[in-house]
Amino acid sequence: MWRGVAEGRGEARANSAAQIVSARNFQLLYDPPMPNEPVGVLIIGAGASGAAFAWRIADAGMSVLCLEQGPWVKQGDYPTNFLDWESRSMGPFATSPNIRKLPADYPVNEQDSSITPLMYNAVGGSTILWAGHFPRFTPRDFRVKSDDGVADDWPIDYETLEPFFAINDRMMGVSGLAGDPAYPYHEPTMPPLPLGKSGNTVAAGFEKLGWHWWPSDSAVTSQEYEGRAPCINLGACINGCAQGAKASTDITYWPAAQRKGVQIRTGCRVKEITVRPDGMADGVLYYDEGGTLQEQKAEIVVLAANGIGTPRLLLNSKSAQHPDGLANSSGMVGKNLMFHPYAAILGVFDEDLGGRRGPTGCSLWSHEFYKTDLSRGFVRGYSFEAVRGFAPAQTALWGMSRGMVPWGPDHHKSYARVYNRTTGLLAITEDLPEETNTVTLDPELTDSNGIPAPKINYKLSDNSQKMLAHAVERAKEALTAAGATEVFSEPLMSNAGWHLMGTARMGADPKTSVVNEWGRAHDVKNLFIIDGSIFVTAGGVNPTSTIQALALYVADSIKKNIETLFD
Amino acid sequence: MTDTPTPLRDPAFMQAFLDLVIPPSDDGKLPGAGSLDLAFDMAGRVDADPMLGPFVQAGLQAVRDAALARDPSGLAALPPPAGVEVIESQLAAHPMLMIGVALHLYPAYYQHPRVLAGLGEPPRAPFPEGYALEPTDPQLLQKLLDRRRK
Repeated sequence: MWRGVAEGRGEARANSAAQIVSARNFQLLYDPPMPNEPVGVLIIGAGASGAAFAWRIADAGMSVLCLEQGPWVKQGDYPTNFLDWESRSMGPFATSPNIRKLPADYPVNEQDSSITPLMYNAVGGSTILWAGHFPRFTPRDFRVKSDDGVADDWPIDYETLEPFFAINDRMMGVSGLAGDPAYPYHEPTMPPLPLGKSGNTVAAGFEKLGWHWWPSDSAVTSQEYEGRAPCINLGACINGCAQGAKASTDITYWPAAQRKGVQIRTGCRVKEITVRPDGMADGVLYYDEGGTLQEQKAEIVVLAANGIGTPRLLLNSKSAQHPDGLANSSGMVGKNLMFHPYAAILGVFDEDLGGRRGPTGCSLWSHEFYKTDLSRGFVRGYSFEAVRGFAPAQTALWGMSRGMVPWGPDHHKSYARVYNRTTGLLAITEDLPEETNTVTLDPELTDSNGIPAPKINYKLSDNSQKMLAHAVERAKEALTAAGATEVFSEPLMSNAGWHLMGTARMGADPKTSVVNEWGRAHDVKNLFIIDGSIFVTAGGVNPTSTIQALALYVADSIKKNIETLFD
Repeated sequence: MTDTPTPLRDPAFMQAFLDLVIPPSDDGKLPGAGSLDLAFDMAGRVDADPMLGPFVQAGLQAVRDAALARDPSGLAALPPPAGVEVIESQLAAHPMLMIGVALHLYPAYYQHPRVLAGLGEPPRAPFPEGYALEPTDPQLLQKLLDRRRK
């Protein structure tokens, strides 16, 4: 078809801005997109940040529309509704889009990355397949340069976000225990989840060593909460919660946003953000579910497509006014990609710890090694997150990979040694921004609509490697103190690129950052970015709580500055 | 003249083979993998695996041939220690065989209701009944309450 050639599925792709503009005009002339009624605010992406923002902006008096490339997911389709839930978790509910290959997914070239990026494309985004472990960034995470002389400070601080953390906790529903000395005082909305046998065991190990630990703030209900039933310990949080106890924005923010009049259109993949002659955003071109190119105009465009999807779209939105990609005069779009490099450390115990039963990643955390101590050989630090054991098939596969569960006559004896008797820790290390870790456009690979796919170049830094090595040794100490008879470690979990940050960083200086201190693109004053892309640094904890607080803060900033928004 | 089925679709061979990979447990609680009708499911999984599937197919062919060379009735006729010996004799030439087999067999086996029951697990989907979880140790909780920030 003509469109495929014009958009260049490889061989005919235009390279210069002039070629791109020319190709687009040619396409629009012969294959015009379907126009839609213009809207006030157009949000791209219905995940953690898009949902929070939509709900918060809905009362600003503007029409609000969200375009989402994925569908609504039915809780009845989640793996734990079925006996073969473990197989389903490794297939259609796998965390990597390159494994799932669902119609809503786009491929990611990860060949040159030491960490595999993970995400889910649906209403709810990656909150569909997350654990709900819900730490906030600490105040120190916003002043890395000031405290430690590396990376940069954020242009905002914890205190600015504090009210939005609180609103977000209420909307998502957070279980936890107030008073963690590692944080400014805040009160979770529900009592903490039970630690379970595995959590009690690991906590006892930390107690023995005198190390900090605290029940984690968890976006999982410990009791009935705003129509959501309490957690029933299915043990498969990262493959979708059939109970609806784990917060995902399809069941938290979106129903509330829709009640306020926000429209959401699913199966819509945005091809590019279009601009007016003055360089301001004009709206988007997107493919609908049937593959028809549509045009959607908007007064304000908001990007909430995650730390890979957002730079991909900006780089795919080249024009005469923005020849290096939209909002990219700084050259920072796609640079400074940060994951959280993870290490996994697993202990084998003599007693039954309950296996995978319980909320997967919501037990306890430790900030014992969170702050910089240069005597350790690295700057910044990491947190620990206790996780639970394996399910039956996972136990066998893990045992096989370790040579612990062989085939043959000794199979059952070996399996019984580890089944329900493992528990572990994840170390979440702070990744520092480096311009050489990037999201770019792959010269060949495209999605099913022919849109260039992202390519990841990511190399683990020396600092991160030292931090991971330190974390592995400390985790071994903790698990041994807890009673583990054997400890196994995976010093870098390559398949754990959940957290996608830094690729459209926030800052005061347009020469070194993409958006200002309230998420507005320096170059395009009606374009806002609200996902993990705008993080300046990564912290050493899971980012979703902070991403959502930022999204709420940006929405409020827009409302506050509405009279002078485009000045 | 009838075509010889591939090893994956040779029921007698697969039953014997799978029973050697995961034999019945000594206490009789866990069945042998060969008795669970997993061969059909396994064949589908192996066929759909472009990476390991061909190695598994080739390895199974070699095992079946080696067993037939030892006994014209094949693997099923051999006592278990001899069957294991036959499999092991082929692993140098087919190092990916058992990795591929385990990768496809273990999930099928450990999600089977009879196996779950044998492990002491309720043989059902996790939802909607869910599971009980031990409460937080009150002594640990008290320690936290004593040191919490006000």
